[in-house]
Amino acid sequence: MKILLVEDDKQTADYIAKGLREHGHVVDHADNGRDGLYLATGEKYDVLIVDRMLPAMDGLSLVKAARASGMKAPVLFLTTMGGVDDRVAGLEAGGDDYLTKPFAFAELRARIGALARRPPIVAATALGVGDLEMDLLARTVTRAGKRIELLAQEFKILEYLLRHAGEVVTRTMLLEKVWDFHFDPKTNIVETHISRLRSKIDKGFDKPLLHTIRGAGYVVRAPD
Amino acid sequence: MSSGRLISILRSASFRLPLLYAVLFILSAGVLFVTVYWTATAAMQSDMSAVLRSEAYQLAEVHRRSGLTGLADQITRRINFRTRGPIFYLLQAPNRRVVVGNLPGMPPVEGSIDFVPQLEAPEADAAHPKLMGFGLTLPDGSFLLVAQDSTRLTDMQHAIVRAFFWSSGLALLLAIVGGAVLGANFLRRIDTITRTSRAIMEGDLSARIPVRGTHDEIDQLVASLNAMLARIQQLMDGLRQVSSDIAHDLRTPLGRLRQKLEDAREHASTTSDYQAATEAAIEEADSLLETFSALLRIAQVEAGAQKSGFAEFDLSELLTDLGETYAPVAEDAEHPLDVQVAPDIKLTGDRQLIAQLVSNLLENALHHTPAGTRLSLALRKTDPGFELEVADRGPGIPAAERGKVFDRFYRLDRSRSTAGSGLGLAMVKAIAGLHALTIRLEDAGPGLRVVLQTAK
Repeated sequence: MKILLVEDDKQTADYIAKGLREHGHVVDHADNGRDGLYLATGEKYDVLIVDRMLPAMDGLSLVKAARASGMKAPVLFLTTMGGVDDRVAGLEAGGDDYLTKPFAFAELRARIGALARRPPIVAATALGVGDLEMDLLARTVTRAGKRIELLAQEFKILEYLLRHAGEVVTRTMLLEKVWDFHFDPKTNIVETHISRLRSKIDKGFDKPLLHTIRGAGYVVRAPD
Repeated sequence: MSSGRLISILRSASFRLPLLYAVLFILSAGVLFVTVYWTATAAMQSDMSAVLRSEAYQLAEVHRRSGLTGLADQITRRINFRTRGPIFYLLQAPNRRVVVGNLPGMPPVEGSIDFVPQLEAPEADAAHPKLMGFGLTLPDGSFLLVAQDSTRLTDMQHAIVRAFFWSSGLALLLAIVGGAVLGANFLRRIDTITRTSRAIMEGDLSARIPVRGTHDEIDQLVASLNAMLARIQQLMDGLRQVSSDIAHDLRTPLGRLRQKLEDAREHASTTSDYQAATEAAIEEADSLLETFSALLRIAQVEAGAQKSGFAEFDLSELLTDLGETYAPVAEDAEHPLDVQVAPDIKLTGDRQLIAQLVSNLLENALHHTPAGTRLSLALRKTDPGFELEVADRGPGIPAAERGKVFDRFYRLDRSRSTAGSGLGLAMVKAIAGLHALTIRLEDAGPGLRVVLQTAK
């Protein structure tokens, strides 16, 4: 992937760029808002990673200006401001996701992956992986033709995982997207619900679909 | 009174104001004076000349009836008997010979005249009075002059001037003395305010300006200044408390982090040793960062900055969701959770913050009660609003400590060994405050019951 990183703190920028390059991405870096906007509108990128506070031009204005000139690439805001208002302002300015510093690199990588392969806006009525099928209209799930009863929250988790099938989904992403929790609960909510979901969809089948990626998150993928 | 103090009184607004009023008073008194002086003079003058005119015409009538001799007799009588007060007469024949009179001869004039005669009469020895006269030429060509002493007029004018100067002088004196007294008094009160604010700037935050109890404008100003100072002191105390809490409570985890790194440097020999040490250090750092962001969030909520995100939402629905979220977690931890939510209760607020509030309360109950303890989450309709309750059947909180558990980093002795930052209830209190909800800790006999209620 070709990624534009607009970040003024050199140490953070080097850390992110190095990590992303190690994973095979091409990274362009701008250390101020004006250069960032110049690159964002001149080149074609798959994802933009933009810091909120930048010299010359702040991140919000940069993204607004780039969007106004027709830039379509998804944008991930990085910020030290974690308030709800800041998050809303970022999304309203044309950002697609929001990550508060400090963050684990795995979290950043998972979110970039999710952004770059965003599912088409067209509303799907069915999702699936391997022999697992989800009917979004009837709100039913079957595996190998056998009906699986899920609770409302389990259904939501599975739906989110299926929409990102093959991609790593982190614990924080699940908390934000499934529960709308923008804080870190002190209990293992995610682990508990994932383990219940797993026992419903994988128990009794040879090949598991729901995998735990240590130190990163979860992934649903078809068996090889 | 030192000269410096005098100068400052002279400079003070409260002195300058009476002075200004005094000047204005003198100016208006001046206008009054000119008017009175002018009107009184004019009135007196016209009065006097009317008397003279009528006297002259009366005598002219005598002349018409009895001729020059009759008139001379009449005038002589009037002079001798002073029948008309101190009036001077002059009757001159057409050849300018004085027929009769107590005034020296003079060229005839017609109408009103002011003059100073060379009197021969003994009563006018002392001074040559200024006279006001009225002259009339009679049909036979003789000249008649009637005159009156006009010193009366000048006396009156002098009296008016004197009265004006005395009264204005006295008023000015009163204004200056009164202004100085008032100014000194006002200045003393301002001085007190200045002194108190200096004391506060020098660090005595408890200093307050004394109120005089007169309920005047200065008292009101002082009262609101004092209220402001109290609020500032409260905020400063809070800040001081928070910073000392932070310094104190973050030392422990930072020390642990340092220990782990030092231990790795001294004892780790294999890559996996280092890896384990790094993992542990990252975990410790993450928990520190978590504490920091919790503190930051509490500060943001307390500052009320998130009120802009307020919207109406279905509280019943949120609590049902939270019940479903936590039921499996509680079940795994062997804490049966009862959820009883009344439907259709709406709240205007920040949905995410309320979710965090309820989560914090549920997690507290989960963490601080032994396995097997029953928990409950309930939402009830009350008048007005609602009552949200999280209760457990655990050991509860001693009554004496119930007020303190909302403080940042405060932990009950028996909870010190369990994981947690001691910030959960501080966050709960901040969120409740932002939503104007009152919070109550009760003995659930046994256990703890936390009740949040719409403020009446």
